[in-house]
Amino acid sequence: MAALGAPSEPHSLEECDFLDEVHSFDFWLQAVEGYLLDTKHGHNPELVDEPLPESRREALITALCNYCIGETAALEASSGMIGYAPSRSIKIFLSTQVVDEGRHLEVFLHRLRELGVEDPDAEILQRANPSLLKFKDQLLEYVDSKDWEAAVFAQNVILESLEFTVFQAHAENADPITRQILMAVIKDERRHMGFGENDLGRRLALTPHLRPRLGKIKRQLDQLVMETFAGTLRDTEVPPDEQQRFASSYLAAVARLGVDL
Amino acid sequence: MSDFLSAYSIQSWLESCPQGYLMNTDYGHALGEPEPQAYLENDVLRNDALSTMTQLVLGERCALAASSGLINCAPDYASKHFLATQTLDEERHVEIFTQRMFDLGVKKDELESTLNHYGNPHLLKFAEVLLEKVDKGDFVAGVVGQNIVLEGMAFSVFEMLKAVNEESNPKLAQILSGTIADERRHVGFGENRIGALIREFPERKPEIEQMQKEMTYHMLATFAEAFSDREETYEESRRVLGTGEDSQAMWHGANLSALEPQEMEQVLADTVLKEFKVRLGRIGLDYQSPATPKAA
Repeated sequence: MAALGAPSEPHSLEECDFLDEVHSFDFWLQAVEGYLLDTKHGHNPELVDEPLPESRREALITALCNYCIGETAALEASSGMIGYAPSRSIKIFLSTQVVDEGRHLEVFLHRLRELGVEDPDAEILQRANPSLLKFKDQLLEYVDSKDWEAAVFAQNVILESLEFTVFQAHAENADPITRQILMAVIKDERRHMGFGENDLGRRLALTPHLRPRLGKIKRQLDQLVMETFAGTLRDTEVPPDEQQRFASSYLAAVARLGVDL
Repeated sequence: MSDFLSAYSIQSWLESCPQGYLMNTDYGHALGEPEPQAYLENDVLRNDALSTMTQLVLGERCALAASSGLINCAPDYASKHFLATQTLDEERHVEIFTQRMFDLGVKKDELESTLNHYGNPHLLKFAEVLLEKVDKGDFVAGVVGQNIVLEGMAFSVFEMLKAVNEESNPKLAQILSGTIADERRHVGFGENRIGALIREFPERKPEIEQMQKEMTYHMLATFAEAFSDREETYEESRRVLGTGEDSQAMWHGANLSALEPQEMEQVLADTVLKEFKVRLGRIGLDYQSPATPKAA
């Protein structure tokens, strides 16, 4: 991997070389080096925690517990998809996603401990959003059945868009340490969403009959996503009038693929 | 457990690997370091290099499938985190060894056929035994097969290849040096994490020892085939690269430059088996000797 710096310009490459480049370990490393160098557990180690009112601390713990569930789902899904990924370069990309998701889980668990949670496992069980748990089960069913399109759609489009939107909303009013953690995670999620949109976009162009199938999956997951969304935005104290703006942002990400039928 | 596992966190991995020994490298070697001309111009050397790289790519593909497949059945978050880093390590190894095949002149659309041509069937059997355990979601057997047996073999093979290539091919030696650092971490995790699980589930020992025996058989068969009928290749290599009795490629007390292929196979097999016995002993398993495979 080259020294620090911006990733090389891949858009001048032929399609096949472009995909090899943007899915490579080197490309990933150059991307994450820019925002992870000199951080510890996702934030500047010199940043000091500000005292949080108890109600805010409680709400933050609930939000982080559910982030851990989402990231565990993403970790297990992305690792499970490597075995049947359709090309070498996609396997490489998914490997970088696996370590991203593992890192997110690690930094959120660490944040929980910083907030005084002694047993994160127990806390996660207690505060889990049931809709998110159902979403996780459904996603892993797609993964286990080796249904590539459904798994990419549920994971890299729906789940990643959901997380991206929630983390963005939360970062706007989070304490400084949580905000720094979220900002780096958001950058990873943007890469993962880009992969999902790109991969499915190409498949949809070649096989249009895939569109109604993905539309059906979306409708099956919609209720779980919206319930998760509402719960998490409430925990992150996003004002009600702002919630619609973020919901629209999530729906727009899914609609870009034209499967929102 | 959590204290020792903190050494295998993603934070530790980021600091030691991508932000450590991989800084300022390109596909695992120094920026701009060329492939030695001899490997590009001499067909015997090039074929030999492609054959070796093929086994490394196939072995790493197996490790990738195993480490990613084990994440879902890992019993705790810390193990999942470590396996996430191992997944990316293994994929990086696949990528850099594949890149060397491209550097040796293999075209992208010829990669799979080249791997099929040079692939050692015993190595594929070795992988099958391991991946069967992984597919069943058997975490304990999977980690023993992957992080003790496969990684233990890879560790010694990489070390030996590095010693052989230190003088004649600094690019390959540096690539191997980074992978050895990764494998050391993987083997360490296997030893540290699995010992406790074996003590917790002692009834699993016979089945896991049987897996080790089968994997060891296929590993020794892989070595036997890899070192058979290699006299001419060795002779040509020593003639072109100028390596021979005057060179000092010392590894485990043997001067590899002066050894014949069968002697080299013996040194490698002895080293790997000795390491297996030590590592298996540390986690409470008894090494099981397989039958001796015949050379092809």
